Amino acid sequence: MGTGKGMGGQAVFDDVNEKLKEVYELSILYDFYGELLGDHKKQIFEDYVLNDLSLAEIADNAGISRQGVHDIIRRCTKALRGYEEALCLAEKFGRIKQLVGQISEVSAELSEAAENQCGEGAIKEAVSLGVPKIVECAGMILKEL
Amino acid sequence: MAVKIRLKRMGQKKAPFYRVIVADSRSPRDGRFIAEIGTYDPTKEPTAFSINEEEAKKWLGNGAQPTETVNRLFKKAGIVK
Repeated sequence: MGTGKGMGGQAVFDDVNEKLKEVYELSILYDFYGELLGDHKKQIFEDYVLNDLSLAEIADNAGISRQGVHDIIRRCTKALRGYEEALCLAEKFGRIKQLVGQISEVSAELSEAAENQCGEGAIKEAVSLGVPKIVECAGMILKEL
Repeated sequence: MAVKIRLKRMGQKKAPFYRVIVADSRSPRDGRFIAEIGTYDPTKEPTAFSINEEEAKKWLGNGAQPTETVNRLFKKAGIVK
């Protein structure tokens, strides 16, 4: 998107990444708000994003036109993005996940330092660096909740 | 009979994880598949794509059709141009 039509190697690559990111984004949004779509729409969207079926295959299964499937998917996408804009649950989830990831990383470093029994000085240093980081992350998570 | 190479979503809610599978295009919904040739984890940074290149090339050579998404992954991995 926005990389222009000059199909240089990098532009093609960016485009590929962009599309893959979109699939990921949609499947996360579907996890959060999928239940809000109607049953029929949900099934079609699920086939498209989760089962990676083509529009033609979905159309065949559901007995509707390819254009109809396309419209439903576009409408679902718009609805899911609308929910996210209003509630930001996925964004929040992403931030919390990242912070928890940091905590677990720091904890792993700490336990490694303890296990390797690298002198008391080294352990103290690891603790004095790691623990404030954990506390900071925990504080930020609490703010998110 | 058309054979497709597609992604199949696994993993828990909010933690998507995909298998790259080879399946008959006529039984898209029943979950049966012929072979699993790789995995794709978009939650990793950078995203983790692992594929049995030999198998992938074999299936492509036999006329299996990758879906658009799989084709993009193949492009990224340098399996197709």
